[in-house]
Amino acid sequence: MDIIWILLEALIKAVVILNLILLFAAALGVWAERKVSAWIQNRIGPNRVGPFGLLQPFADVFKLFMKEDLIPKAADKTFHRIAPIITLGIAISVYAVIPFADDVKIGDKIYQMGIAPDLNIGILFVLALTSVGVYGITLAGWSSNNKYSLLGGLRSSAQMISYELSMGLALVGVLMIAGSLSLNEIVSKQDVIWRWNVIFQPLGFILFLVSSFAETNRTPFDLPEAEPELVGGYNTEYSGMKFGMFFLAEYANMATSSAIIVLLYFGGWQLPFPADWLGLQQGSIALAVAQFINFMLKIAILVFFFIWVRWTVPRFRYDQLMNLGWKVLLPLALLNVLLTAVGIWLLK
Amino acid sequence: MNIRKNSEAERLSFWEKLYLPEIAKGMGITFRQMFKPKFTRQYPEEVWIPTGSYRGRPVLVNEDDGERCVACGLCSRVCPALAIEVQAAETDRDKERYPEKFEINMLRCIYCGFCEEVCPEEAIVMSKDYDLVFTSQEEAILGKDKLLVHISKLQDRLEFLRQYK
Amino acid sequence: MPHIYIDDKLIEAQQNKTIIEVAFENGIDIPHFCWHPELTVAGNCRMCLVEVGMPKKLPNGAISVDSSGKPEISYFPKLQIACATTVAEGMYVRTKSEAAINAQEAVMEFLLINHPLDCPICDEAGQCKLQEYAFNHSKGMSRFIETKNHKPKRQSWGPNVLFDAERCISCSRCIRFAKEIAKQDVLTFVQRGDHVTIELFENKEFDSPYSMNVIEICPVGALTSKDFRFKSRVWDMSFNDSICPGCAKGCNTKLGVRNNEILRIEPRANPYVNKFWMCDYGRLTQYEFVNNNRITDPYIKVDGNHKKVGLDEACSEAANRLKQFNPHQIMFVGSAKATNEDNYILAKFAKHLNTKNLDCLKYIDENFQDNFLRCADKAPNTNGALQVGIKPDLHSVRIEQLSEKIATGDIKAILVMEETFEEYTEIFKNLSELKLLVVLGYNHSNLTSIADIILPASTYAEIEGTFVNTDLRVQHFTPAVVTSENLRFMGMKMSRLDKFGAFNDRWTQHQVRNSRQSWKIIQKIANRLNANWSFRNSHDVFLEITHNIASFKGMNYELLDEFQGLTLGKAEKPDPKVRNYESHYMKPN
Repeated sequence: MDIIWILLEALIKAVVILNLILLFAAALGVWAERKVSAWIQNRIGPNRVGPFGLLQPFADVFKLFMKEDLIPKAADKTFHRIAPIITLGIAISVYAVIPFADDVKIGDKIYQMGIAPDLNIGILFVLALTSVGVYGITLAGWSSNNKYSLLGGLRSSAQMISYELSMGLALVGVLMIAGSLSLNEIVSKQDVIWRWNVIFQPLGFILFLVSSFAETNRTPFDLPEAEPELVGGYNTEYSGMKFGMFFLAEYANMATSSAIIVLLYFGGWQLPFPADWLGLQQGSIALAVAQFINFMLKIAILVFFFIWVRWTVPRFRYDQLMNLGWKVLLPLALLNVLLTAVGIWLLK
Repeated sequence: MNIRKNSEAERLSFWEKLYLPEIAKGMGITFRQMFKPKFTRQYPEEVWIPTGSYRGRPVLVNEDDGERCVACGLCSRVCPALAIEVQAAETDRDKERYPEKFEINMLRCIYCGFCEEVCPEEAIVMSKDYDLVFTSQEEAILGKDKLLVHISKLQDRLEFLRQYK
Repeated sequence: MPHIYIDDKLIEAQQNKTIIEVAFENGIDIPHFCWHPELTVAGNCRMCLVEVGMPKKLPNGAISVDSSGKPEISYFPKLQIACATTVAEGMYVRTKSEAAINAQEAVMEFLLINHPLDCPICDEAGQCKLQEYAFNHSKGMSRFIETKNHKPKRQSWGPNVLFDAERCISCSRCIRFAKEIAKQDVLTFVQRGDHVTIELFENKEFDSPYSMNVIEICPVGALTSKDFRFKSRVWDMSFNDSICPGCAKGCNTKLGVRNNEILRIEPRANPYVNKFWMCDYGRLTQYEFVNNNRITDPYIKVDGNHKKVGLDEACSEAANRLKQFNPHQIMFVGSAKATNEDNYILAKFAKHLNTKNLDCLKYIDENFQDNFLRCADKAPNTNGALQVGIKPDLHSVRIEQLSEKIATGDIKAILVMEETFEEYTEIFKNLSELKLLVVLGYNHSNLTSIADIILPASTYAEIEGTFVNTDLRVQHFTPAVVTSENLRFMGMKMSRLDKFGAFNDRWTQHQVRNSRQSWKIIQKIANRLNANWSFRNSHDVFLEITHNIASFKGMNYELLDEFQGLTLGKAEKPDPKVRNYESHYMKPN
């Protein structure tokens, strides 16, 4: 019986988190992207659908559903269909291991805030899944049977391989400090603002941030879909909701990356100050709500940062991208590991 | 600015080469932009009325005693997008010719204004119409009924042509 | 043989030729309006003024030379018209000197004084000699600010020609043509000075069978065709070379095509056939059957009704049904209207089936004949059909016997190529008694309505082939109108709008007919009866004709094009090539 309850609990949490939080966040991300870009360009942005144009992303999705779904004659139909599902699926599944707040105690039962939050290899799971995510894009590029799509897909895989290395190495610093691969463990170590990892790991943070931009295919690293040179990159041959899935996946990825950065460097859901300052009990629902809001706010700020960078920094050239990845970020990441090791050794 | 140093590495200072401070500067600029006044026009409510120099949908000038066009076909010949088709026929008027059929395919038209420039009779001019909506390909082929516009409505453009053509 | 220098080029000229003729033969074009090689010299346009001079002679008779050893030339103080000045030994001519150019520009300014400049309305625009010279030989401006003279417009000269007096530059080409070529001297100048105009004599009409040639020779748009008037701008049409099928003379023509319709037919210069002319009959009648009432699909008669079928199905049906008859029960009717290639393949097919009954209809009309370009044989290729084997032998059925042989039941099946039997009512009456009537035709007619199998044949304007004219001259022609068969081959030869149209352009909604050149259909039928022929195009067929038929030996399409036709049996001795004069024409864009 127990196992059923556990599964049911996980299912309910999955439905709530995925639908309410992630897709809502992705939609909000789309809206924010359009609004922020408009403001930066002295425009107003969407303002027709709903208050402040808030329903615009839903109108967009509705439109995408209505559109004709084209599959090129020469495309590999199976993979052409599977690719967007992989991309969006992977982007969503990362949320399985992301915790949103401290455990809540109702009666005797302890509820964990997250679908599978206390995974002892949480961070590895995240890294693994983001690596699989590249398959979606590469497959989309290859199966379209279009030279632009193929180039987009190739670039995407090359970019992922290059940046995953420095990303992983930048992480090592955090892991060394926390001494654990569990996300809960890493977060619980950063209970107040002066114990946030970003303070101990400034270099690591910057490396990780830059790498996450590359991992999420956002400007300045959006070479896989570089419109001026590759038409639409890997999604050139996609239309309708399949395109919509790529589109949503990008924002879901952005939200995921933001969440991970928050968890690793900005104290996760932990309030910036000790919780008892607000007089909240450990394990109470009120604390969980406060932590959840706190977590979401942090993510929102980072998502805004992602958008802000997109409308500020121009796209890299492909060789610059590779140079930066292999000749700058990778050595720096190694250096960061070394420095962290020395620091920990000295402090012991 | 006269750049003497050629290589990028020589031109940039250490901080510039680091990128990050420069990126931060750029982000400062974009952040400031967000609070500046906006220029968006709320289009369907605030309609923009172009000046005479605007090149909108090409139309045929209709005078009180009929159209100016003599169906010489030069507009059709010069049209780089082959949007115009003219079929001439004979009439009893002083100008022996008139367009029996004059069709502009607005799906082909690129609003370059060559037809207006080449017209020896100033019979085809660019109007101010810019909100063209079609629901089928056939509908986008405008015939004489839709193209003929009375001269009184085209005064701005004709005045512009008198001054600058 | 006098030696003269034109623009410092030494030319050996023929005696008694004028400067303009000698210059033209040697590739130097002197601007002119009234001169025409086939007409007498009038010398009234003054456009061909050139500087003419002779070497200066010393009192002792020697030629005076300057310090560099070149002879000193004393040019006449006044310029001479090149069209009326005969060449003389040692003459020096300058056609591009400052004085000559000044004179040309002055003449152009003078001619344009009263010219209405209504080019947008004028049909000649685009192929107008005055327009062309206004670009090449004019200052581009006029000092004349007074009101222009107005003269009557739209005067009818005859059934086919319309005259616009305002546009006329009084070159008198039409007057001379009417008098000298058409032999109908009804035109003359009246009035003087800037009021001069051309009028018909009282109660006369310019209705010569050649009247429309004045439209081409008129250097401006003063003379226009009633038939063509305002149908199309010349630059919207494609002009492809063809041969007039109106009679056996085989006048060389150009077909003006737009929207895949022949809009007009005009003559093409061939010094050995039609010079620069053709008759009105040829111009006005030889496009109707190409444009209208065409058979566009094969049909098979099922239960008395014609059913539309695919070409392969129709050919199989024809082959299967032909198989059921004895060879001597089948008659093949070739055609004097079809090309040598078509007739040759038909004859070859008859041989393949062991049928000797092979003949064609004749179209002899003595009333049509004159001693200029019209001949009694009103089919273009009677000679060719006979040459390639469309003729009965002693024991076979002739066309004259056909009627009675059908009645007696000796002939049970007929394959008719490109004929309608319209003028042979006697035979036509009996045709319905046949067991099988296969018709390859252009148009729906009485014959096709009783046919068992109808196959769509291409007209002369849609195929490549050769005709043999009344003087046994073999002439090659290529398609001008597009069918689904020659669509790819035509490509850039189509008119501008036809070339670039897409499916949603209304102006390209022309019909691309699904017709085939007759020999291709016959080959299809023959191959279903185990013939195994593999001719890909008319070239292949003509090659076999030149191998198998002695009189065609040594010919090929390239040679025929190069010499504008070769006489049968004289392929080795072609007529000399000359530079063809073309007064003014649509410059390719």
